[in-house]
Amino acid sequence: MSCAFSREMLALHAEGDLPAAAADTTSAHLATCVHCRQFLEHLDARQALVKSLRLETVSRADCEQMRRDVMARINDGRDRSGWMLRVERAVLVAVQQRSLATAAFLVLGIVSVSVLAQMRDAGPVVTQVATLRDGQEDMQRPEGYRNWVAVNQPMEPGHRSTDASATRMLRSPNDRVYIDPAAYRRYVKTGTFPEGTLMIWESGGRGAPLDGPHAGSSQLLASVKNSARFDGGWGFFDFTGPDGAPASTAQALPESSGCRTCHRRDAATDHVFTQFYPALESARRGAERVEPVGINRS
Amino acid sequence: MELRPDSLLLVETPLSMSRLPHEELSADAAETARLVQLTLSGDSAAFEEIIQRYETRVMTIAARILGTRDDARDVAQEVFLRAFKYLHRMDVQKPMEPWLVRITVNVCRDAARTRQRRRDTFVAVETPDAVDGAEDPHTGLVRKQERLVLRRILDGLPEKERLAIVLRDIEGLTTTEVASILQSSETTVRSQVSRGRLRLKAAIDRLMGGHQ
Repeated sequence: MSCAFSREMLALHAEGDLPAAAADTTSAHLATCVHCRQFLEHLDARQALVKSLRLETVSRADCEQMRRDVMARINDGRDRSGWMLRVERAVLVAVQQRSLATAAFLVLGIVSVSVLAQMRDAGPVVTQVATLRDGQEDMQRPEGYRNWVAVNQPMEPGHRSTDASATRMLRSPNDRVYIDPAAYRRYVKTGTFPEGTLMIWESGGRGAPLDGPHAGSSQLLASVKNSARFDGGWGFFDFTGPDGAPASTAQALPESSGCRTCHRRDAATDHVFTQFYPALESARRGAERVEPVGINRS
Repeated sequence: MELRPDSLLLVETPLSMSRLPHEELSADAAETARLVQLTLSGDSAAFEEIIQRYETRVMTIAARILGTRDDARDVAQEVFLRAFKYLHRMDVQKPMEPWLVRITVNVCRDAARTRQRRRDTFVAVETPDAVDGAEDPHTGLVRKQERLVLRRILDGLPEKERLAIVLRDIEGLTTTEVASILQSSETTVRSQVSRGRLRLKAAIDRLMGGHQ
């Protein structure tokens, strides 16, 4: 063949594999080139020979034998998948079922929201540590409050505070006052207590009882800032059960308990006696902050 | 020689590689999807039905790529074992056949490499059962001899060209489908196909005589 036209193009043209433009070019050339026409005719004959291999097939007996072998291996468990593949299969099969997929997404959503809420610097409502029940005036006892920020420094046994007012607020030198970490950080940053701030007063249980407003049998008290629910913005709760042990829930204390009156009148900052708590007082004054104890860094 | 009309039907069956909405799945595809779900829920009998549906197709392609019945049977066995193992990864919204063909090609590649390693000077090439009941015995024998020679020539092609020729010219798939199965571009497939056709023609011309 003396023509220099591309044989690769002819090989593709033989079975209609060329794009339209290239096919037109090839057709135009074939119309004028006898050498290429002869080559293409011969190629067509060879292609027909190649396609005769389509007549080859396999016997049904071979197929049946193969199938029996496969099923024998599957049923014998000889080709059992590894545990990772089994887990992958279980997950994918579950995802293909709408109800399970919905449940999985819900769980994922709840976990994500929970993680994000804990990562936030300070939320307006501390729902993860204290639950105010909708439509009810009771609250669930917060868990893990001893890991919060303890705003009053621990006192050595026998220590007498020089601040008579501060001492008067505590029934025992070992009493502790905690604030939830998110509210503490917001307070330090802004000087105001955010909505949802939760504070806990816990009896130290040792030492001579003092004559103060928290005197008596109370063991665990809480105050919550929730302006939408409580007059003056703060609610007060007593978690002391009938036997002295902490109760799981507590009713909001009535106005007659005097909590609000005292806190509103004498507390330096928004119902909180920041003047008695060094960690809060320093932040309020913007002075050098006294490092509190028990900051929950998680 | 056994006449097997279903083999011709298989040749003419196009591979649909396009994604179909669920409501447009054919009854056949829907039945396959049902069998897949049953298999995934632990019903191995359902998987046997799947094998029955596609065994001839898989065995035929393997035989055309590898050239021997024994290799084709081994390959098909491995294909269905892999399919069973990874069935949960198959998209039931798509036809199963292209997925199986893709596995078949991959297993054939592995088998060809293994065979190449153990092959020294002897090549045992055999033709699968031929189908051509319309020919007289003499013509049929000639045709069978031609196909035997063709098989040897095809077997001598570089792997990529051989796969492209088998899928495009013998299986009759479109260039797009071949590219999808080989996970290659259409341009690359066209290049492999054109080179393969020219090599085959040259080899046939050398052995049988004819236009150069």
